[in-house]
Amino acid sequence: MFVLKYLYYSIKNEATTLELKPSVLDLDWAEVASKIKRFIKDYVSKTQAKGIVLGMSGGIDSSTAAALSALAIGGDKVLGLILPEKETYNKKDVEHAKLVAKNFGIKTETVDITPTLENFYNSIPIFDPLDKVCKGNIKARTRMIYIYYYANKLGMLVCGSSDKSETMIGYFTKWGDVAADIHPIMDLYKTQVQKLAKHIGIPDEIIEKPPSPTLWPEQSAEKELGIKYENLDLILYGLEHFMKTEEIASQLRINETLVKQIKQRWLSTEHKRRILLTPKLEYRTIGADFRLPRDY
Amino acid sequence: MKEKFKIALAQIGCKRADKKENLKKIENFVEKAKNQSADLIVFPELSLTGYVVRDQIYELAETIPGPSTQVIEKIAEKTQTYIVFGMPELSEKTQATIYNTAVLVGPKGYIGKYRKMYLPTHSVFEEKRYFRPGYQAVAFDTEIGKIGLIICYDIFFPEVSRLTRLKGAQLIVCISASPAVRKTFFEILTAARAIENTAFLAYVNLVGIENGLQFWGGSRLIAPNGKVLVKAKYDEEDLVMCDVNYSDIKPIETFVPTLKDLRPELFDALKKSAENI
Repeated sequence: MFVLKYLYYSIKNEATTLELKPSVLDLDWAEVASKIKRFIKDYVSKTQAKGIVLGMSGGIDSSTAAALSALAIGGDKVLGLILPEKETYNKKDVEHAKLVAKNFGIKTETVDITPTLENFYNSIPIFDPLDKVCKGNIKARTRMIYIYYYANKLGMLVCGSSDKSETMIGYFTKWGDVAADIHPIMDLYKTQVQKLAKHIGIPDEIIEKPPSPTLWPEQSAEKELGIKYENLDLILYGLEHFMKTEEIASQLRINETLVKQIKQRWLSTEHKRRILLTPKLEYRTIGADFRLPRDY
Repeated sequence: MKEKFKIALAQIGCKRADKKENLKKIENFVEKAKNQSADLIVFPELSLTGYVVRDQIYELAETIPGPSTQVIEKIAEKTQTYIVFGMPELSEKTQATIYNTAVLVGPKGYIGKYRKMYLPTHSVFEEKRYFRPGYQAVAFDTEIGKIGLIICYDIFFPEVSRLTRLKGAQLIVCISASPAVRKTFFEILTAARAIENTAFLAYVNLVGIENGLQFWGGSRLIAPNGKVLVKAKYDEEDLVMCDVNYSDIKPIETFVPTLKDLRPELFDALKKSAENI
């Protein structure tokens, strides 16, 4: 009996996967910051770019990416573009962006993109003002055009601010906010970015405010996704580590349907993360089997 | 054979796909090490080309001996040193069959090579896509002792180091291109391989960033008792030196006699079990 009981537990233990608790997301933040800074500096140097340009929304992700860029190559080589528009204008956000820029010695330029957006709305024959997703995506893509103009004109690189949580579930605009040359914080979940932000000295009021892509007024990421980032990140961490949805749900004491929905979002949005899909017709095909280094 | 000699761990970053530039850097480091009386200078895995060259490997691979080994041979001859470095080796019998190879040259020219047996093809690694694995462990007789060569992921498989040791290697040289997330594994395994074989182990890792992979450096010479005798910086290019004194092996080999206690009959059982995981 004793032997059987022992065997039962040892088998059970072997089958148990990792324990999903917030501490699994802990990293050595000094080391993470140092790796990211090295990565940015190295890429800027390899590409011989004159600096970095990025959009600064006043949110945690772009504040962190901007600060790390400044710490890596010097704030004088970083240009933060503040690109507000009428519908989602929030004075506090603009102040936050400027505060981070000031703290890290980053130059900024503010451009109101409202007139450009209105021209788009007015000139698209099938434009539907009630479709807030399609309309919001125009905003993200318009910002991308402004940012890339500056990069192009000034010989700078575009730095992205997407984190791992939103990138994994496809919570971003294809060719919009995700369009960038480098993505320094894309391997960190949102709650990890919060900790890194704290470590490098991003003000608490920016870290603590509710995340939002600000594509429409009052948009809240957590409300829209129907889940808190604390839970989302652990679910994604579990999926990253090949855990079954059932196991994740049971450990986090949440409904498995929710975990399955998130898994589905992750799998069905790969098209947003991998570009240039083409049918294989010839010897070596772009995107499929041309395998070349990205930072060559 | 010398009982004692000086080893230099040349922890360099490479300019990818630029053999000329990397050969220049190798020469420069060899000269610097020679000025500090080094006898053997070790460079990282694929130090001729850089690690992440992907499809460019087909243009970069060369036979051994070949043009690049000839350049290294001249450097070794000029400086009267031994040099270990890594390069993609094109098989002489084919046009596109490539090995991930470590090369040993000495003051009198080419000595030998080792073709990496364990090619990581998981996570960020895609070595089996490009390389054919080697089949032989090696240990070469030189004036500075019998030297075994292994490459990076081989260190996770104790049998490779063991084979070099059983062939008589008293110094196992492991050249590597290990990205930062694997640091802990290597820091433990390098010491383990030295202890279990009662041999010196020289680990030389790449530095720099290639395609998002950050190589962590941390090269080291480990004594047969597992003690780290010298260690290079993390993440930056470095050149560190240390004496290898073979007379240090005997007291350890008597204190922890792993070779005396080796049980050959277990290897048959191991083989059978490994065939059926």
